[in-house]
Amino acid sequence: MSTRTTLRPTDLRSLRDAVLDTAGTIGIAGAGTAAGWAGTLAQVDAVLDTTGLTGVITHNPGDMTVSLRAGTPLRQLQEELAPHGQHLSFDAARVADGATVGGLIATADAGPAALVFGSMRDLVIGVTIVLADGTVARSGGHVIKNVAGYDLAKLLHGSYGTLGVLAEVVLRLHPMPKRTATLAIHCSLGEAAEHAATVLGGPYEPAAMEWISDGTLLIRIEGTEEALDARLQRLRTALGTGELLDPEPPSDERRVRRIGTDESAARRNEAWGRHASLVRGAPGLATMRIGVRPSRLPDVLADLPTETVTAGLGTGVATVSLPPDAVEATHARVHAAGGTSVLRSRPPQVDVPAWGPPPSAIAVLRAVKAELDPQGRFGPGRFDDWM
Amino acid sequence: MSLDGVVRRAFETALSPEDVISDPVRCRSYECDGLTGYRVIPQLVLLPRDAAQVAAAVRVCHEHGVPFVARGAGTGLSGGALPVADGVVISLARLKRVLEVDPVDRRAVVEPGVTNLEITAAAAPHGLYYAPDPSSQQVCTIGGNVAENSGGAHCLKYGFTTNHVLSCEVVLPDGDRVTLGSDTGEQAGPDLRGVFVGSEGTLGITTKITVRLLRTPETVRTLLADFPSIAAAGEVVSDIVAAGIVPAAVEMMDTLAIEAAEEAVHAGYTVGVPAALVVELDGPTEECDVQFEQVKQICDRHGCTRLHIAGSPEERAKIWKGRKAAFAAVGRISPDYFVQDGVVPRTRLAEVLDRIAGMGTDAGLRVANVFHAGDGNLHPLVLYSAAAGETERAEKLSGEIAELCVELGGSLSGEHGIGTDKACSMPKMFGADDLAVMARVRTAFDPRGLCNPGKVLPTPRLCGERPGKYRPHPLEEAGVIERL
Repeated sequence: MSTRTTLRPTDLRSLRDAVLDTAGTIGIAGAGTAAGWAGTLAQVDAVLDTTGLTGVITHNPGDMTVSLRAGTPLRQLQEELAPHGQHLSFDAARVADGATVGGLIATADAGPAALVFGSMRDLVIGVTIVLADGTVARSGGHVIKNVAGYDLAKLLHGSYGTLGVLAEVVLRLHPMPKRTATLAIHCSLGEAAEHAATVLGGPYEPAAMEWISDGTLLIRIEGTEEALDARLQRLRTALGTGELLDPEPPSDERRVRRIGTDESAARRNEAWGRHASLVRGAPGLATMRIGVRPSRLPDVLADLPTETVTAGLGTGVATVSLPPDAVEATHARVHAAGGTSVLRSRPPQVDVPAWGPPPSAIAVLRAVKAELDPQGRFGPGRFDDWM
Repeated sequence: MSLDGVVRRAFETALSPEDVISDPVRCRSYECDGLTGYRVIPQLVLLPRDAAQVAAAVRVCHEHGVPFVARGAGTGLSGGALPVADGVVISLARLKRVLEVDPVDRRAVVEPGVTNLEITAAAAPHGLYYAPDPSSQQVCTIGGNVAENSGGAHCLKYGFTTNHVLSCEVVLPDGDRVTLGSDTGEQAGPDLRGVFVGSEGTLGITTKITVRLLRTPETVRTLLADFPSIAAAGEVVSDIVAAGIVPAAVEMMDTLAIEAAEEAVHAGYTVGVPAALVVELDGPTEECDVQFEQVKQICDRHGCTRLHIAGSPEERAKIWKGRKAAFAAVGRISPDYFVQDGVVPRTRLAEVLDRIAGMGTDAGLRVANVFHAGDGNLHPLVLYSAAAGETERAEKLSGEIAELCVELGGSLSGEHGIGTDKACSMPKMFGADDLAVMARVRTAFDPRGLCNPGKVLPTPRLCGERPGKYRPHPLEEAGVIERL
C-alpha cells in the first residue's frame, strides 16, 4: 500500500501544483462534513485538503455577487455578508457544522430554503476548477444573467469530487429578509400534506415548509416588518391552526444577533434546530436523501421503515434515517416512484449501496468522467457501482 | 456535397418521404434563424412528428456521419440554428403538445415546439404560470428556451430557464433517448440537465421537457417612471436593490428606444425624455403595497419627472407592450439594425452606456438602448442603413460593444446565446484552457462532432470565414493559404 499524503494548498497556483506534482489517485476533502456520504472513497494515494483555500476574493454589494475560494466555510461567508444585509439563500443543516462552499456544491446539498431558492446549482454563477491533469478552467462569471459557454458549475454540482476540484466560486446573493417567522402545526404527515396543499395553493409564498417526524409541520414566512404580521394572520386563518414560533424582533436588533450565523439561528429556533438534527442522521442508522414528486412523497415515506424523517412537502425532497438493511429496498422504492436517492451517513463498516439504479444517461456520465479524468484519479469509489 | 440516395432513403424510412424536404426552394425557408446575416441552405429538412422519429433521424445522422441542427421557431438571434451546408435541419415544429399540467405538483410536461406563452396559457386555469418570459415569448419555443437558457424581464427575481427545468428527455447525438434531471430539484450525480440547458443545441436534441410552474402572484404592481438622465435612472435601480427589494422586473429604455416604442404601440411613454424605467413588483398584496411605496419614494428622490402607475391590468399590459415591442419598433426609426446582447455588473450600467454612446459617435451610428436593468443585461440596438453602406461599420460596433461588456466584468451574452454570431468573441471572455475543457464536455456528449457544429465554441473555419456566400478567408487574402 502506498503512503497516503495530505496536500493542503492555499491558492489556485498551489492547488494546481498539488494536483500536478502528485501521482496516482486523489481524494478531495473539505471540512469533512460529508466525508461519508455517497460511495465510500477507495484507498487513495493522496488527500487534497481544500480547507486552506479560504477567503472572499471580491464582494460587490451593489451587484449582490461574491467570489470566494471554495474551501471557505459557508458559515464564515454568511458572517461576512450579514453587515451588508445580504446572505446566500441557502441553509443546509451542515452549514452550521462548518461545511465549505465547495463541498456543498460537490455534494448537491440543500436545506429548507430550496423551496424558493433551489440548491447551490441555482446560486453559483461562476467557477474555477482544476482537473486531474492540472488544467485550470473557468466558466460563468460575475453576472447573474449569462449564457456564454457551458455551465461547468452544474457539472461539478453533485459530482462528489470525481470530476475536478472546485478552486473558486462566484455566488449570487439575496437581501436578508427584514423579518422571519415560523408557523408550527402539530400533525401527522398526511395532515401536513393537506395543509401544504392549502399553503401552496394560496397566495402565502412560504419561504420554507418542512414536516418533521416528531409530528410538526414548519412553515417559514419571510418579508417586511410592516407586512409580515398580516400575512401570518391570513395564513393561520386559512389553515385554522398553527402556533407562531419565534417571531423575530425588529431588524436592527435582529441583524446584530444574526451575525451569530445559522448555527445560532438554529439554536434560537428550536424547531428548525430539531429539523437540522434529524437531517444529520443518527448513530446506528443509515441516512438517505430522497426526492420524488411532492404529491408522491407521503406514500413513498409510508412504505419505508423510517426512524426519523424530514420531508419537504413543496420540494419533494426528504431526508430519512432507517436501518442499514433497508437501504437497498429504499433505493428501489424511490426509483419505482420516479425519484432519486443517495446514501448519506451509515454506521461504520456497514456496506450498503450508495446509489440506486443508474440513470438512463449513465453512458454520458461515464464519457464525461473519461474526458475530464481519463485516468480515474479523482474520488475513486464515490460512484460505485455507476462508474 | 449532396446527401446521396442511400442517406436520403434512410431518412425517408425513419420518418416518411413527405416529411423529408429536399427541394432547395423549400429548404431555403430554413437557411437562417432570427439572425439573418448568416445564411446556409441545408441539404435536407426533416419534419419528425414525435420523439421516436427525432431519435430515428438522429440515428441515421450518426450512422452516416451527417451533421444536424435542431430548430424550433427560428426566433434565435445568435445564429444558433444556422444550418450547416452538408447537413440536415431537424425541425421540432410538429412536437407541440402540452402533455401534462399537474396543478398539485405545479409542473408541466411539454414537447419542445410548444411556445413559452402556451405553457403559461395551459397553466393559467390552475392559477399557475411559467416564470421565464423572453420578450419573444409569444413565438419562441420552450425547446429553444432550453437550448439558450433564455431569460426575460422577470428573471431577476425568478431565475432563468435552467432554474425552472426539472428534467429533459434528450436524444443524444448517437440517437439514444435519455432523461437528464429528475422529478425534483434533487439529483443523483453530476447535474447533466444543468449542462444541457444553455448548451445551444450542441449536446443533443430535447424532445420532452418538465418545467416547474409557479403560483400566479396575488398582486402585481407596475410603474413607468421618467428621469432626466440615464445616471438618475441607474441610481434608482441601485437604491431599490440597496433597500432589499427584489423587483419582479426593472427595465430601462433610453430616448431612442422610447421614441421607437411609442411610435409603434402608443403605450403612453414620454417621447424625448432621456430615460424611462419600468418597475414591477409582485407577491402577496401586503408586501407589494409596502415595497411599492418605497419604490415610488426612491423614484421621487432621484428627480423623477413623471410617474405613471398602471391602474388596471390593461394599462399594465400596455406598458409592457411598449417595452416588448421596442426591438421591432426600432425598425420604424432606422432601415436596419443589429440587436446586441451583453451583460455588465449592474453597478457599471452608467459607465457602459456612456462608453457605448461614445463608441456610437465615433462610428457615426446611433445606438438605442433597451435593457434589463435589474440584472445588467443590455440590448444595444445599433442602427444603420445597409443601403448607405453602413453594414460592416455597424457589425463591427455591435461586436465591440459585446466585448466591452466582457472588459467591464460581464458576459458576451445574457440570453441570446453565442451561436454562430459570437463564437469568435469567446476567446475575449475565456482562455484557451477554459474553451478546451468546454470542448471536452462537448466531446463526451458528441464524440463525432455532428450535433450543431460550429456553434458556441470558436473553430478556425468559423472565425476565419463567414458561412454563406463565398468570401475570401483573411488568410487567403494575405496569401498564406489558397483554396483548391
